[in-house]
Amino acid sequence: MGQNKHEYPLLYPLIPLLLLVPLMKFIFGMDSFEAAFLIVVVPLLTFPTILIVGQIFNKNDTWKEKYKEGGIIAIGSLGISLSVTLWILIDYLSGTLHFSNLTVIEWFQWISFDFLQSDYTINPERRIIGVGIWIDSISLMILFVATFLCFLICWFSMGYMNTDPINEDRNHRFYAEFVLFSMGMFGMVLADSFLWLFIFWEIMGLCSYLLIGFYYWKVSAAYAAKKAFLTTRIGDVFLMVGLFILYDIYGSLSFEVIFEDPSTGVAGALVDSNQLFWALLLLFVGAVGKSAQFPLHVWLPDAMEGPTPVSALIHAATMVNAGLYLVARMVPFFDVHHHGLAGLENLAIIIAFIGGITAFMAASIAFVQNDIKKVLAYSTMSQLAYIFTGLGVALWFYNTDHHHAAAIAFGASMFHLFNHAMAKGMLFMASGSVIHEVHHAHDHLHDAGDGHDFDPQDMRNMGGLASKMPITATAMMFGSMSIIGVPLIGGFWSKEGIIAETWKAALEEEPLMFFPAILILATAGMTGFYMSRMWLMTFAGEPKSDVVNHVHESTPWIREPLLILTAITALGGFILALFGAIDFLSNNTDHLKMHGILETLEHAFLPEDLNTRLIGWITIVLSFIIGPILASRVHGGSLKDGEKAIQPIGFLVTLSGKFGTQDVEELSKSQLSEALQNRLYFDNMYEYVISKTIIPFASMLAWFDRTIIDGIIKQIESKSVLGSLQVRRVTTGSARDYILMAAVGMLSIFVLIWGVNA
Amino acid sequence: MGGECLSLDILTIMTITPIFTGIILLLMPQILPKDVATNFEKVTRNISMGIALGILLIATMLFFGTIGSIDWTAIMQGDYVLKNDQFSLISSIGVQWKVGADALSFPMIWLTALLIPISMLVEWDAKRGHLFHPLLLIMEGALLGVFITLDLFMFYVFWELTLIPMFLLILVWGGDDRKYAAMKFFIYTFTASVFMLIGILIMYFHTTPIPGIGSMSGHHFDLVAMTGQTNLIPSEGLRHFVWILLLIGFATKMPSVPVHTWLPDAHVQAPTAGSMLLAGVMLKMGAYGFLRIAVTIFPESTVVFIPLLIFLGMASLVYGAWVCMGQTNLKRMVAYSSVSHMGLIFLGIATMQPLGIAGALFMMFAHGIISPLLFAVAGAFKHHYHTLEIGSMRGIAHHSPYLSGHMMLGWMASLGLPLMAGFVAEVAILIAFWIEFGWLVMLPALTLIITATYYLTSMQKTIFESDDPHQGKLPDSLHGEKPRDITWHENTGMFILGILTILFGIFPFIFWDMMSSWSTGFVSDVLIDAMHNKDKWNSSVKWLVEVLK
Repeated sequence: MGQNKHEYPLLYPLIPLLLLVPLMKFIFGMDSFEAAFLIVVVPLLTFPTILIVGQIFNKNDTWKEKYKEGGIIAIGSLGISLSVTLWILIDYLSGTLHFSNLTVIEWFQWISFDFLQSDYTINPERRIIGVGIWIDSISLMILFVATFLCFLICWFSMGYMNTDPINEDRNHRFYAEFVLFSMGMFGMVLADSFLWLFIFWEIMGLCSYLLIGFYYWKVSAAYAAKKAFLTTRIGDVFLMVGLFILYDIYGSLSFEVIFEDPSTGVAGALVDSNQLFWALLLLFVGAVGKSAQFPLHVWLPDAMEGPTPVSALIHAATMVNAGLYLVARMVPFFDVHHHGLAGLENLAIIIAFIGGITAFMAASIAFVQNDIKKVLAYSTMSQLAYIFTGLGVALWFYNTDHHHAAAIAFGASMFHLFNHAMAKGMLFMASGSVIHEVHHAHDHLHDAGDGHDFDPQDMRNMGGLASKMPITATAMMFGSMSIIGVPLIGGFWSKEGIIAETWKAALEEEPLMFFPAILILATAGMTGFYMSRMWLMTFAGEPKSDVVNHVHESTPWIREPLLILTAITALGGFILALFGAIDFLSNNTDHLKMHGILETLEHAFLPEDLNTRLIGWITIVLSFIIGPILASRVHGGSLKDGEKAIQPIGFLVTLSGKFGTQDVEELSKSQLSEALQNRLYFDNMYEYVISKTIIPFASMLAWFDRTIIDGIIKQIESKSVLGSLQVRRVTTGSARDYILMAAVGMLSIFVLIWGVNA
Repeated sequence: MGGECLSLDILTIMTITPIFTGIILLLMPQILPKDVATNFEKVTRNISMGIALGILLIATMLFFGTIGSIDWTAIMQGDYVLKNDQFSLISSIGVQWKVGADALSFPMIWLTALLIPISMLVEWDAKRGHLFHPLLLIMEGALLGVFITLDLFMFYVFWELTLIPMFLLILVWGGDDRKYAAMKFFIYTFTASVFMLIGILIMYFHTTPIPGIGSMSGHHFDLVAMTGQTNLIPSEGLRHFVWILLLIGFATKMPSVPVHTWLPDAHVQAPTAGSMLLAGVMLKMGAYGFLRIAVTIFPESTVVFIPLLIFLGMASLVYGAWVCMGQTNLKRMVAYSSVSHMGLIFLGIATMQPLGIAGALFMMFAHGIISPLLFAVAGAFKHHYHTLEIGSMRGIAHHSPYLSGHMMLGWMASLGLPLMAGFVAEVAILIAFWIEFGWLVMLPALTLIITATYYLTSMQKTIFESDDPHQGKLPDSLHGEKPRDITWHENTGMFILGILTILFGIFPFIFWDMMSSWSTGFVSDVLIDAMHNKDKWNSSVKWLVEVLK
């Protein structure tokens, strides 16, 4: 790690920069909210800076060594965003700032206009679409997740990107786009209206396009980038129409106006719940596209074409959370306790259904993936679907006036977003570490690019890495445990809540909810299987290729972010659960109250309600015991003789060998497996439809335009030419003659007019 | 006098100076002795650029109110502040020199003043520059003339005058098939404007005679007086007829489906600067004229024909986008995308909402910045890679990073990405459209997906995707030449356009505010009284609108 020590001093100049933030409080007397604009503006300005400076100093050594091709600038600006966020967070938690859920700062008027009413009079009040900031507990939590993870991923990138020769002289583009992407997410979370939420939402779409297509010369990357942009664009267009309807209903898109009283629209009239249903449904379609839910999920696995830090960025910190955030923002419409509108339950059920279907589908596809990143991609999809289900249930409870249950479901969903983001960010970084080291080991063994076909992401080339990469293996173990929902770790605290509430809704109120309830319960077990499978295939058993023997954990900049996130994943869930995160996120209580440890544990494992207790234990058994044991039977196994891994990984690896082995050769050749490997043929189907309808139709229209429409014009031209040989003789093709003709024509008109007048 | 006196001639000066300088510069080489004339080329383009920049400076100062002051909503109310001594040009028929500017014309004036120096810059090293740059100057004068004049006769004169430099630009500096394209461009648009002329003449004969105007019959071409005259053409049938005649002239210029086919041919053959001006300003003449003359003078007919406007707008938008997808030539594709975007302007006007009309105005402006960028990029491909075939090259981003960067920015701006100018217009128009016509908005909204598809596909198949990161696939037309990136002057021009696109995307209020207040005034003064004509819609149209809402 000598190299490692050598490089960290590069970060020292950043420390005074970060100290600037608290200083602002004393020097300028700035409030933390007044500084909130920095979270967006600093990265926004960093984007052109890195791009232009990087282009100018592209091959310069100082730029490469001292500035890491822009990485240091990027991490600096993200650091400012993070520290301002922390500042706001501290103010919020300490109660210095009393804002009951919301704060708005108006920056400037974006556009303003008058409005013609249906009785053909101009509305005397000028309508304004402004730009401002809105913070409440949901946005603050997501903002913290985004700033924190973006910061760590940027840190990680300096190890991952800058040590790979293929990226040389291109990294400034990476960092610039990275910062812009982060800016999009921060802006979206801070936006004070649905319109600006949408604007930043689209900026993220652009950045995902740029970053997924970072290796633009790769055919697959260029294709994946286009696919991601267009698929999300489909959702975005519906979202946009949803915004138009919302605007029509409320005469504004700002949260302040709409959330004040969502049941009365413009001019105080009662809102038609049918119209609102359509608006929110279209909004939800946008969320489905962005968060990769069925049926617009096809872009997410392909998005793995981008560099691994980008996957971490998209899947954990930013883009996919955007859809969840949008749905979470719908609560005021549903909450009949406070001005919500009754009659929207069907939409809540749709949301829960989409969640349930996606969760199950993604988990089953993840069973057969051999690419380590693809497994993680499908697990992202599946976990996001959990959150959608939870939100759907929460919205359903809100809409049927079960306020307490709604708050728990909502808080659990948001808490799961937090846990998932932390775990998934770390898992992607850890997988990046594995890929990076395997790739290096391979390059070390065989000269780079000797034509030898080797996929460093394929888990069938790994195995037995536990002793070679102890930190990565530990990190990945905790990440997987959090995703699986192993008791006491990360995701357990939130996933339990989602499943329990969904079942509660199904058992006690709405039979339709059985559908998502059963699906997500089954998915819990499946998650246990595929996450264990991934970990075991990578780290346990004997090496499956000779490359593995040469793997070392040596790249700088990678270890620290992993360690930080491991700690948060392992302990964060428990600690936050102690502090009542679920209540906090659902705005149930204004102040934090610490629960006793025993009380919290009792609440989790032995709830009073018998149904909840039963469901809880079924979940634990399925996900923590049955899933991993099955995975161990297929993929488990001890390390090679003589290799030792640190505890507790060594124990896990050894344990995985104790369950016997099971051959799944037969099963993997079945039609179901085939279908799963082909992602249930969704991609093929879409592609088929597009290639058979849209493209031929477009070509036909192009032909039609050239031959028929232009042809008619040409016909008229040639016919008139035939009709008048006189004119034919005049068209000499020389410019001078035509100008002459124009002049003569004009003159004759003059004469004509003059003649008429006279 | 004083400030008034100074302001009085600014618009006239802006128009006359480039025309005269252009003509003088064109004639210079003939007059000067031969040894001086050979070195005159560089001097010519410097002078041209100087004049163009001067006019841009004047236009910018006008905007900030440093010189003169413009009342942004004045003209359609029958008065305007930036006025001159109206004097008769051809007194026998009542032609006057009368100019003015408001929020409808001013953004176009500023845009013209901006695009001329930029297109000069992009084609800084054009062959036969001693003719090229002065021609652009003449073009500038003619275009400005269209936007400032308030006399329909002069409007028509300037309208046709713009054709001549453009015709010559295509004919002399165009591509392989330039003769056909130039001919088609000229005859097509000329024919269409004859319809417009007939309409103008009918209007002329219906004007109430003004005694002092100088013409024998007292008829006049004064647009302001025509606007002020209630019920210019009493017969409803004739009124509609005149409106349709005007529409033919303007819709061809815009161009709207089905009279759009001159545009792709003209664009593909035109030199880069020609394309930039054609798409940036000349197409807007159609929309400008439509609002200034047809809608302002015949609001009742406009309201009656709203279904027709929607049909034309939808056809241009949707059909144009689909045709775009089927194109294999980069410039043809961009040309059709102009058709598609111009369709939105009709839709915006058809809403009859201040928001929609302001959106249409902003669309004119935003498209005026974005489409020149697109054509500059396409022109650079032609210039440096000698081909415009999509798919004949791959992985160009490696060889031409700047060109690819500009392409990315322009393409993204044109597909309506937020924080760029086009998005503001799109959102404004579509919100207004939803409010008026309900679910019909799905058609333009879904077209946005098509737009994104063809833009991304064309990008994927030119600048991305190659087997080898360091090579890419170069087009055959390069004949083994080493690929280059764009030159400094192309780069600067595109940079300015790109920055403006983002500037007006983040801070649209710079021009939006005046457009918005103009639209409000326009709706309340001109359109509201005509709104009852919606009753005259065909019953099936009424039914459709009700259902969609």
